[in-house]
Amino acid sequence: MIKKEVVVIGGGPSGLAAAIEAAQRGAEVLVVDSNLKAGGQLFKQIHKFFGSSAHRSGTRGIDIGTELLEEAEKYGVEIWLNSVAIGLFQEKKIAVERGLDVEDKKLEIIEAEKIVIASGASENAVRFKGWTLPGVMGAGAAQTMINVNRVLPGERILMIGSGNVGLIVSYQLMQAGADVVALVEAAPKIGGYGVHASKITRAGVPIYTKHTVIEARGDKRVEEAVICELDEKWQPVAGTEKTLKVDTIAIAAGLKPLVELAVMHGCECIFDPLLGGWVPLHDKNMESTYPGIYVVGDIAGIEEANTALEEGKLAGIAIAEALDYISSEEAKKLKDETWERLKGLRMGPFGEKRMLAKEQLLAAAEAAKGSAEEHQIAASAGA
Amino acid sequence: MKAFDTVVVGAGVIGSSVAYHLAKKGLNVAVIERGDIASGTSSSCDASLLICDKKPGIDTKLGYESIMLYKKYAQEFSYDFEFAQRGSIYVCETEQELEVAREYAKAQADDGYPMRMMDKHEIHEVEPNLADDLVGGIWTECDASATPMAVAFAFIEEAKKLGAKVFTQCPIKGIKLDEKGHVEAAITDKGEIKTKRIINCAGVWSPEVGKMVGIDIPIKPRQGQILITERTFNIVNRKIQEFGYMLSKFEDVNYTRKVSELVEKHNVAFVIEPTLSDNCIVGSCREFVGYDRKNDIEVMQALAERAIRFVPILKDVNVIRAYAGLRPWVVDHLPIVSGVEEVPGFYIAAGHEGDGISMAAITGKLMSQIVVGEETDFNIDKLSFSRFKKAKTATN
Repeated sequence: MIKKEVVVIGGGPSGLAAAIEAAQRGAEVLVVDSNLKAGGQLFKQIHKFFGSSAHRSGTRGIDIGTELLEEAEKYGVEIWLNSVAIGLFQEKKIAVERGLDVEDKKLEIIEAEKIVIASGASENAVRFKGWTLPGVMGAGAAQTMINVNRVLPGERILMIGSGNVGLIVSYQLMQAGADVVALVEAAPKIGGYGVHASKITRAGVPIYTKHTVIEARGDKRVEEAVICELDEKWQPVAGTEKTLKVDTIAIAAGLKPLVELAVMHGCECIFDPLLGGWVPLHDKNMESTYPGIYVVGDIAGIEEANTALEEGKLAGIAIAEALDYISSEEAKKLKDETWERLKGLRMGPFGEKRMLAKEQLLAAAEAAKGSAEEHQIAASAGA
Repeated sequence: MKAFDTVVVGAGVIGSSVAYHLAKKGLNVAVIERGDIASGTSSSCDASLLICDKKPGIDTKLGYESIMLYKKYAQEFSYDFEFAQRGSIYVCETEQELEVAREYAKAQADDGYPMRMMDKHEIHEVEPNLADDLVGGIWTECDASATPMAVAFAFIEEAKKLGAKVFTQCPIKGIKLDEKGHVEAAITDKGEIKTKRIINCAGVWSPEVGKMVGIDIPIKPRQGQILITERTFNIVNRKIQEFGYMLSKFEDVNYTRKVSELVEKHNVAFVIEPTLSDNCIVGSCREFVGYDRKNDIEVMQALAERAIRFVPILKDVNVIRAYAGLRPWVVDHLPIVSGVEEVPGFYIAAGHEGDGISMAAITGKLMSQIVVGEETDFNIDKLSFSRFKKAKTATN
């Protein structure tokens, strides 16, 4: 068994930010990441960041990724790549499978004083007839294929969902040389920013609102998609079916937090559709209901890279404080600054809803803590 | 809620089977279940219907009669519980094990059960992926498997056809007795059910139900952990277990397995069985850790280590899932299938430890015979609840 002061699970923006914050103040930090390269989704984000008051707006995701990796190296953060955290066991033990090939795979058990779970999110699926045919994939997966692996997933693409992910990935697929045949959106309005939508419509790609996909057809892979109109009750309208010749159906139907590790260690969760589904409760230090286990980034509610970075910082500062690397006054100042930036990021029509959801989550965490303390008082009084 | 002739508490494999057999006797049955059908032990175990791991005598008799019933029900029931009779192998690591195995198999064969020895060549012929150095084993032809949750669903389905009512998410809160101390009603948070009989089929939680009528049921939860491997080709064709473990548990034989500290510490014994979709169910261990249903990585490693020793090819196979379940343990390793003298109208069918799936069918049948006052298929005095009172008096 290996002992570590701080272990961060997941080397995306939030995980790296937590690692850098804690390491630069003296903590010994290990990041475990399942990929060939750390940086999470940043290295596939070749576009410039946007947003009303984002302090990194105008920067490309890949550049932020490069900066983070440089900083992590500077502060001596140890990074294990090709390393999958397969489980969290009592008491704060992380089982990590290291290595790519069966031959060199090795299981390491790490006991950590503090654990940061920055596991991110997975893409939501949309189920329809034929949805398991090869050629049906997540929009995020398609983006990884073109921007990281430099492989075109298909030549004729149907995109499901017109949120920012659906819009941006459609545009990038076009830039990569694919033909985006259409976007369908179940809601009556386009979900993402107008600036992204117009780039696509200008190129002549139709966006069908109040539409959905009902079937994928094909022998060994997708050859056709059937779409149709939806009525006021979101039900398919008979007779409105259109058949599109496509070889790929990309689904951008949102993300859900990857909470399994947190649940496994007994962190309490709440269900909030605005945050993507089940989310571990956490306090203002990003600490879950299980002391010493922190949750940051998409696992703590689906948002975006900038808020993920700030949440990571909060956890890193709180950990440095808890391990006595910085005073509580210094920690308070740093945390207040971070919260200010977070508030700035959570403005605008998308941000505000999430801010509200996050505030409810914080309140629920406080309540859970309160009842746990009462429990303890009652228990000790009983003893 | 209206009145029922009989209320069954618990919808695991045991409660489901009891409900079916009671309904078949023409009784008006309600099943009340705290969670969902097969949501406790029956959803976190392996899938064995065996006699090979039973002690000669009543233990084996229960197992055998149950397999015969399952075989019949597999033909009759509308819900497929994936019954497959492929036999089982008890493998031996050493000559010393083989020696004891011979005696054991002979005793069972003398009682008329289809058990015989297999030599080194034979076990490798039927199970080519077994480690080369294994010296032989016991072949039990009648042994079978079924999917535990499906077994519960199948019994419930048939019980419903016969008019039984099933209430899930309906925990029992208390039991009302009349002035003579006879069962009068089951109290649930959805209301009171008038009934003259309550059958406690709550497995590891049956002591809680026992307390409601003031009796002490000596069942303790014993945790077992299991690994599920990814889908592959057929790695094994049937249930395989190590004999050395059973041997090391025999009080009258002085035998210690040569195993690692990790395996010894967690009381791990190798068992494996294939599923219909070509995953393997790999176990198992037994530990008293209260009602904890969490897996432990050390135990998981010990399970994997022991499995690789017997089936070396597993080294290259991924584990996709693991779970822990609670087995209802009784000190003499026999279930309680009996009425309770002190509380007329209160019955217990629980305490099958690792044999619940194996014995559910026969348990249900025997319980239905007890309840309607028929003679049981065979003598089951050894399963009576009063045996504990006698043991107590004897020690006093």
